[in-house]
Amino acid sequence: MAGKRFDIAGLMQSKVTWAVIAEALILLVCFMIRPDFFSISYQPSTGMLYGSLIDIVNRSAEITIISMGMTLVIALGGTDLSVGALVAVAGAIALKFLRWDVLTYTTPGDYTVYPYILVIAVPLVVCALMGLFNGFLVAKGGIQPIIATLILMVCGRGVAQILTDGKQFTTGYSPFRVIGQGSFLCLPMPIIITVIVVVAVALFTRRTAFGAFVESVGVNPSASRLSGIKAGSVILLVFMITGLLSGIAGLIYSSRIMSNDSNNAGLNFEMDAILAVVIGGTNMAGGKFSLAGTVVGSLIIRTIVTFVYYFGIVAEATMAFKALIIAVVIVLQSEPVRKYFARRAAMKGGVRA
Amino acid sequence: MKNRQTLLTRITNPKYIMVYATIGIFLVIYAAGGFLYGDKGFLTVRTFVNLFIDNAYFGISAVGMTMVLITGGIDLSVGAVASLTGMFIAYGTTVLHLHPLTCIAAALVMGVGLGLLMGWVIHYLNVPAFITTLTGMFLARGVCSLISRESIDIHHPMIDALAGWKIYLMKFADGKWVRIRPIAFVNFNVLLFLVMIIIGAFILQRTRFGRNIYAIGGNEQSASLMGLPVGRTKVLVYGFNGLCSVLAGISYALYVKSGWNLSLQGGELEVITCAVIGGTLLTGGVGYMIGTLFGVLLKSVIPALITFNGNLLSWWGKIATGLLLLLFICIQRFVVTSTGRRKGQ
Amino acid sequence: MPGKNILEMRGITIEFPGVKALDGVDFSLREGEIHSLLGENGAGKSTLIKCINGVNRKDSGTILLDGHEINPSGPNEAMTLGISTVFQEVNLCPNLSVAENIFVGRQPMKRGQIDWSEINRRAEELMSRFHLDIDVTRPLSYYSTAVQQMTAIARAVDVQAKILILDEPTSSLDENEVQLLFSVMRQLRDSGMGIIFITHFLDQIYAVSDRMTILRNGHLVGTYNIDELGKFELVTKMVGKDMDVIFSLKRANVPPDAPVMLKAEHIGDGSRIDDMSLTLRKGELVGFAGLLGSGRTETAEMLFGATRAVHGEIFVDGEKVSIRTPFDAIQAEEAFCPEDRKRDGIIGDLSIRENIMLAVQSRKGFMHPMTKQEQTELADKYIALLGIATPDCEKKAGELSGGNQQKVILARWMAASPKVLILDEPTRGIDIGAKAEIQRLMLEMCGEGVSVIFISSELDEIIRCSNRIVIMRDRAKVAEVDGASCTQQDILRIIAEGAA
Repeated sequence: MAGKRFDIAGLMQSKVTWAVIAEALILLVCFMIRPDFFSISYQPSTGMLYGSLIDIVNRSAEITIISMGMTLVIALGGTDLSVGALVAVAGAIALKFLRWDVLTYTTPGDYTVYPYILVIAVPLVVCALMGLFNGFLVAKGGIQPIIATLILMVCGRGVAQILTDGKQFTTGYSPFRVIGQGSFLCLPMPIIITVIVVVAVALFTRRTAFGAFVESVGVNPSASRLSGIKAGSVILLVFMITGLLSGIAGLIYSSRIMSNDSNNAGLNFEMDAILAVVIGGTNMAGGKFSLAGTVVGSLIIRTIVTFVYYFGIVAEATMAFKALIIAVVIVLQSEPVRKYFARRAAMKGGVRA
Repeated sequence: MKNRQTLLTRITNPKYIMVYATIGIFLVIYAAGGFLYGDKGFLTVRTFVNLFIDNAYFGISAVGMTMVLITGGIDLSVGAVASLTGMFIAYGTTVLHLHPLTCIAAALVMGVGLGLLMGWVIHYLNVPAFITTLTGMFLARGVCSLISRESIDIHHPMIDALAGWKIYLMKFADGKWVRIRPIAFVNFNVLLFLVMIIIGAFILQRTRFGRNIYAIGGNEQSASLMGLPVGRTKVLVYGFNGLCSVLAGISYALYVKSGWNLSLQGGELEVITCAVIGGTLLTGGVGYMIGTLFGVLLKSVIPALITFNGNLLSWWGKIATGLLLLLFICIQRFVVTSTGRRKGQ
Repeated sequence: MPGKNILEMRGITIEFPGVKALDGVDFSLREGEIHSLLGENGAGKSTLIKCINGVNRKDSGTILLDGHEINPSGPNEAMTLGISTVFQEVNLCPNLSVAENIFVGRQPMKRGQIDWSEINRRAEELMSRFHLDIDVTRPLSYYSTAVQQMTAIARAVDVQAKILILDEPTSSLDENEVQLLFSVMRQLRDSGMGIIFITHFLDQIYAVSDRMTILRNGHLVGTYNIDELGKFELVTKMVGKDMDVIFSLKRANVPPDAPVMLKAEHIGDGSRIDDMSLTLRKGELVGFAGLLGSGRTETAEMLFGATRAVHGEIFVDGEKVSIRTPFDAIQAEEAFCPEDRKRDGIIGDLSIRENIMLAVQSRKGFMHPMTKQEQTELADKYIALLGIATPDCEKKAGELSGGNQQKVILARWMAASPKVLILDEPTRGIDIGAKAEIQRLMLEMCGEGVSVIFISSELDEIIRCSNRIVIMRDRAKVAEVDGASCTQQDILRIIAEGAA
């Protein structure tokens, strides 16, 4: 036995490694173009830290939060397409409760019609229930997750629109503003919420056996059931968590714009979240998952957008660059390519040994 | 015991159940529409033909999508590729003053090329179709925005002629042919849609290539052990779907006579929905063009109903579509389990 | 009068990283013979046939087909050369019709279109040659495994094959279906085809083959005519060591007043099993004998909650328990190794450690996790105890051989220290050495007071190990006999004719 030698071949095989390398490279290029890229400054007037890095983490909050749930869904061998629609639903409900009086008073002020607790709790509960509905179709109905969640993806936005009569409400309620624009410990609030969510999900999956159960069900549901795992409950719980996290992301999103936008809130979030998970090294076929990888994946997606802004390219066109960089990452991560590099690393390692 | 094939067994073959369900539900909804809004002219030929005219571009794209779904894959790039095609035509004719055919040729190279490339990545690099085509969608959308962020109108005699070309539906009355009332016509888009459905059905049912598509969707590993050209077939299917996306883009450009970088957003899901309510299984291996045809009609009859109602928010259409999906998924589920049970006998 | 050789392989060597899978193996196949290929798992049977059909490339040696050297690059090329393979798992498309499965990829064409009526006509013709009168236009998934198997063979035969390779075609067939397959095989042989037949069932080899070739650890042991070698010699040659281990197994000693550990009274699932009763004493091993589909597996699944018993009562260790899901059964300290190891047992992408700790963990519930160290200790203990061949407990369970996978599943349940252990075909598809070891482990557990239900299609191992044997027929228990005093003939007679 060689002991715990630094395992280059194994590392080259790992998708997470490639994700970290990709992120480092993108940051490096940013730094070369803009030497002040890494600088972080303190603004005493707002009591917040500013800088590109902070901005990247801040802006990636929604996707990171959703993709924590998405990681678990994908580890189960599924995908949840409804998360973007749930973001819109959460925003619509929150604004509905804040501005129930919108017909009487059209100008937004610093008040809420219903108690703040309802503004926060009801969207989260509704989103969790919608997640539960997805989970129910998958676990009890035996329907493929991608189809089951397509239903809410298609009609979720419709529900959001009907809740607000197809209108956009705005609010000025300051406690609500804190969620998306406030700060804590000098950091933007979304970052704080993200950290809490990531830590909570990590603890929940890795400090209990839940993560292992999810992986087991993802690889072989039938064998897991016969080993005593309540596969159905695991699936229900995972989809419910994802729904709940989408709700949190929805609150952050609508707090940033202090409004609901049922057309554009969470648009393509499902795509970005799935992408973050896959770039982070979790296999879409299910099984082993890596939450840390997902966080890196989400940061990559956001860094690319920031990176493209620095080139002074129009916002809509960032997609093209995003696509190119993601294509490179995905090709590097693809099985044949990883095997090729692993073989070369192993050959070199063999020579050295 | 004789258990040969007869006309009856051929018709009751369980593989057609989903198609029957689609047609049946379409007829029920159509009849319900006639019952509710017959007095407003819901049952006229014109309303029926308009279902085709207003959704032909979805239908054209659904032909390719059906094939992709039958292989067990998915293509999320269709909406963006169609949008990019429209942009090619608009920017090419209006800004660069190119002939539309040149623009269309460029769009075909772009669409089919991207399709083939994505197929290659999916099969040979073993990247999930969802991720590959999602990247393709981002790419096409991004390029679209790079070309222009404004909506560009299309003004070109050839485009105008093509968009304005129509065949009026006639009936024989009083010893001569007269246009039916209210006036109803079929345009280029509708013909293209129907022709693509027929081509698609021919490919799927009458060519080895088409049957290989089904075999791959049934069990890809088996298909390759049976000696079928799995890689080539998959790459070509994505290429063909690219072609359909471009044709859908042309058809959409004729319909709205402009190109816009954000047009057809989420179109891929509408197209997938058409295919699914047309009886195509997202797990692959099952699907028929005739089902897709009725899937498109079924999906487009709902907004038509909402328009006829006049009081409902158009968003109810989305909810109704979602419920329809739920219904179909439940039927599919039921059919799959009930045919699965027979296996034990 | 033996025919001429159609296939000759000389000095075939295939190396995989680190191992020689085949080392200078010679093999020949004559026209019009059924030639069995034998050996334990890992002996090189699959590697050899994969070399013939081009899935694996050989490193040295020659393959001569009708005297000409061939080098097929894949199953496709092999097929055009006249070599067809029917793989163990039916490799067809369940969504296509029976007829299409036979012809896909080489459909007859008419005017540039597929000629469907010709396809269906020819498929019907082929299937009726196999005495199967079925509607060939129905999807393959509509039919039983046997029909699917026949469809695969029909496909293989229709390509004008000279050589047909059948890799474990019988492992999921019942006795009648096996006989049907054999008659087809004989029919094909008599028409001059050379058939290579792989199976784990020794009786089937004697029933149908003309010659056999034995491999061991990648080496050729020898080729024999079927009447040259008795069963005992055959097994000895396959294993390469004394078979004393198997034949020295001692069944468990159960005092007649041992407490009843499991009692089922009139249980039924409402569809397949109507009324089944059973008792199992502490430390006792009860064998379930019967044909495939006789209700053995269904009963086991009900006892474990894999399917729900809609009526009847189950008692474990004297207490009435309600078992609606496997989770309930595990709480009641039952354990169950299912029949289909790949589908229901092993969790391939997870490590051996995770596979072993799963049942213990699920009994504890996910809120009371075991630390990684505890898991590793547990896994290492059972790897050593059961002799699982692996470098460490972090290897993916899916990468192990069949016998080792079975040991991992056994370890999963042993770790949960159950009172009642239900084993459904634990020895199927694994080689004789591993079989003997699993039987030994089973009996050892009985010695430690675990009550075992043992389901197997191989009567000799049931008779060898069981204290009592429950005989099932037509989804009901028809008899219970004493394991020590009954013979194979007794049981066969009951299975064939009903109650004793």
